[in-house]
Amino acid sequence: MSVTDDPEEATLLERIQDDPGPAMRWLAGALLLFALEAGAVVNFVTGLFGPGMELPTLLSRELIPNNGFQTPAGVWKETFLGLSPAVAWGIRVALVYVYAIVCTWWLWRGYLVFREHYRYADWTPRDDMIDRLRGHRWGQFGAVIVFAFVIMAMFAPALGPTTVERTIQDPYSYTVDYYDENGELANVTVGQANLGARSQGTPDQNVGVMQYDEYGRFHPFGTLPSGKDMFTFMAAGARVSLFIGLLSIGLSGFIAASFALLTAYYKGLVDLAVVITGDSIMSLPRLLFVMLLSVVLADTWIAGIYSGGLLLALIFAATGWPILWRAVRGPAFQIAEQEWIDAAKSFGQKPRITMQKHMAPYILGYLLVYSSMSLGGIIIGVAGLSFLGLGVSAPTPEWGRAIDIGQSYVTTTSWHISFIPGILIVLVVTAFNALGDGIRDAIDPQSEGGEGEGSEAVAAGGGGA
Amino acid sequence: MSEQVRQESVGVQTGETLVDVNGLKTYYDDGGIIDSNPVKAVDGVDFEIKRGETLGLVGESGCGKTTLGRTLIQLEDATAGEVLFDGTDVTELSGTELKNWRRNSQMVFQDPESSLNDRMTVGEIIREPLDVHDWETPQERRERVRELLDVVGLQPEHYYRYPHQFSGGQRQRIGIARALALEPEFVVLDEPVSALDVSVQAQILNLLEDLQDEFGLTYLFIAHDLSVVRHICDRVAVMYLGNVMELGETEEMFANPKNPYTHSLLSAIPEPDPTADKERVTLRGTPPSPRDPPAGCPFTTRCPMKIRPEKYEDIDPDLWVAIEVFREVLRERARAEKSLTEIAKEKLGMETRFSDIDEIRTELFGDLDVPSRVREHVEVAANHVEQNDEHAAREYLADEFGSICDAEDPSMHVVSDTGRTSNCHRHLPDYQEPDEFTPYTER
Ligand code: SF4
Repeated sequence: MSVTDDPEEATLLERIQDDPGPAMRWLAGALLLFALEAGAVVNFVTGLFGPGMELPTLLSRELIPNNGFQTPAGVWKETFLGLSPAVAWGIRVALVYVYAIVCTWWLWRGYLVFREHYRYADWTPRDDMIDRLRGHRWGQFGAVIVFAFVIMAMFAPALGPTTVERTIQDPYSYTVDYYDENGELANVTVGQANLGARSQGTPDQNVGVMQYDEYGRFHPFGTLPSGKDMFTFMAAGARVSLFIGLLSIGLSGFIAASFALLTAYYKGLVDLAVVITGDSIMSLPRLLFVMLLSVVLADTWIAGIYSGGLLLALIFAATGWPILWRAVRGPAFQIAEQEWIDAAKSFGQKPRITMQKHMAPYILGYLLVYSSMSLGGIIIGVAGLSFLGLGVSAPTPEWGRAIDIGQSYVTTTSWHISFIPGILIVLVVTAFNALGDGIRDAIDPQSEGGEGEGSEAVAAGGGGA
Repeated sequence: MSEQVRQESVGVQTGETLVDVNGLKTYYDDGGIIDSNPVKAVDGVDFEIKRGETLGLVGESGCGKTTLGRTLIQLEDATAGEVLFDGTDVTELSGTELKNWRRNSQMVFQDPESSLNDRMTVGEIIREPLDVHDWETPQERRERVRELLDVVGLQPEHYYRYPHQFSGGQRQRIGIARALALEPEFVVLDEPVSALDVSVQAQILNLLEDLQDEFGLTYLFIAHDLSVVRHICDRVAVMYLGNVMELGETEEMFANPKNPYTHSLLSAIPEPDPTADKERVTLRGTPPSPRDPPAGCPFTTRCPMKIRPEKYEDIDPDLWVAIEVFREVLRERARAEKSLTEIAKEKLGMETRFSDIDEIRTELFGDLDVPSRVREHVEVAANHVEQNDEHAAREYLADEFGSICDAEDPSMHVVSDTGRTSNCHRHLPDYQEPDEFTPYTER
């Protein structure tokens, strides 16, 4: 920490040049971690502009295949190390999560390295927040589930026992090998195989949780009534939900924050206009309005993007910002009363920068809290729309549609079709709320109870002689 | 009248005028739908501040002193009047001109807890004004910040600390460093020590005085603590309800206040020497609402030396005070909001809390010997009130017991050879001077 006493402030880059050791070590680790998955990133990026480029990747299904066939002797062919598909799949899932955890831990280490070696300040208010979050069990529970969910969405193509392309979108262009009753290696299209793997609620027509179908394919979450693998469906659906949720919450958060800052800074008529707009939107029955909009806009070009996902995100953002704005308006007004805002005005700081620098950091926390809490609502909303047959159009996977499809099988042996997505939605939504709670307590310790506030008031009273 | 003041005050102080305030008014219209009267926070003040001096601005809370300070550095928009800074009317400035002018005048805020952004390091806070005005190169700015930290008595290493890590006094030093960053000529100090522990107050005051000597600063020192003002200010302006009541050299004013309001205010300070024989005037009531100030002298509703109409010169002071209080009660009641039920009850001729006029009369006049020439008027007024016509009652009383104090806004009179001015009708030749007059409450 001798850097602190250096009278010259250097940029972060210069500070790193001064003492490159820790940074370089960290960077080497980060590059290594990245290299393991570089193929997936390249594939994803090039995939945006055309057919994705294939590069060898550690966590790919090619490296650890779980699809194969069992010889009559009971030996698995074409699977990873000849293991059974269940084990091979399990290894891949485990590796994905280990990789994700290591990456996260490495990022955290990176922060610690910065804090220890390169940051000038010994202490910042953020350190306290992180410390408080460290002791918050409920928030951590939320963080863990959210983490699992996000990883599921991010690594969806590698996690599923098969791919969306093979089993859902184009099942008749791919084939599977298997040994038929006569003990001969046969070949059938995935589409046909699916027909034989349907879950229809009867004991002889059901592929339940952690079961194989008659073509030697392993289904961790069972199959859909159409015989498609449900885990693949769920993982891809997580991606869709997360995309819609994050995009719409990002947009509405941005709108909410901008309005809150503007109205708190300028007050008066600007505030009145936003209050009226926001309250009118809030007074509409939201889900009905969302349904109306998604039906009305269903035939426009925008509904074609991402199977209607973009449209849904925009609709949820347009109807959801007033809720977030309500949540941050109060804090924004409080901050606008602080004397440091006057101080900034008094030396001629530009309004935009004043809002950014002196107000925004204080409402960001609240925004995060309420965003993570309403993210759950959006996931439920999107699922609800799919449940009603609106929203994300088939065949793009969506959890709500699985619940809908499985409805009539709830009391049968195929109960898993509705049950698993239902439970996952509850879990994810609860987790986002828990995370929000955790963040709130971290940024604002007083909100936990009256005690903190009281003692502060006493201190303030004592100080004001 | 300001002409008169300006001529007289030449020679009071040797520096030239830096800030010249003429007829300044700052009204707030806070957009109330029902009550459309603006708050007249500053209601026509004239004064000037000499280069290098410290002008104190004192008054009870809510008298408009902070608003006046904020208007001088253009944190509030003036409603009328001008603020000449080195001859330029800064209320007219906007855009780049305003921004450039802002370098010249800065403010130190009252509450060090609220005046520093907790999410920025001390260095960033002090540096921000320099960044805004593109002062020299970034490296020179950093050096300047370290220099400023040293100047206000902090350590250069504090650059990367956060405000949380400092005590109230230290935080105020940071605020002072920020105010000085752009080398202003004029600094408004808005109760800079009132939020601090008494033990720290003296240190900050000394620092401010040292800085003034070192950089030739001109201060407007806003305060409600009169002992602090006496300690640090060259001249003092006493404010009441948006008006300057008295303005003059500190020592002289403290020793011999001329204006009735200053007199009351100063007599409220606890005397350091308890044996000193000094009469104490306790002010009754509260100041009127700045939305609806009295028509004549702003102090008229509470003044213990108010001029009486000639025909009542001889009545007992206690009775006179009772009449004054009676008038003020009616005034307050007119201001108090009537709830809908009360209005309904009134219309139905039922008893309301506004109809207890008899009780008030007994309370005020019960123990006194009220001559009939006074009693008859009080009764007429009370009758009006019983008829729910409070307005008529007030008019009637004003006609009968009112004087020049209720009718005319007094003007500034020069009251000493150092050019002290006081805003009171008693300085007119027809009346007894306030310092020769014994307040009614003390007789
Ligand atoms: S003008 Fe009248 S009311 Fe005002 S201060 Fe002088 S004596 Fe008092």
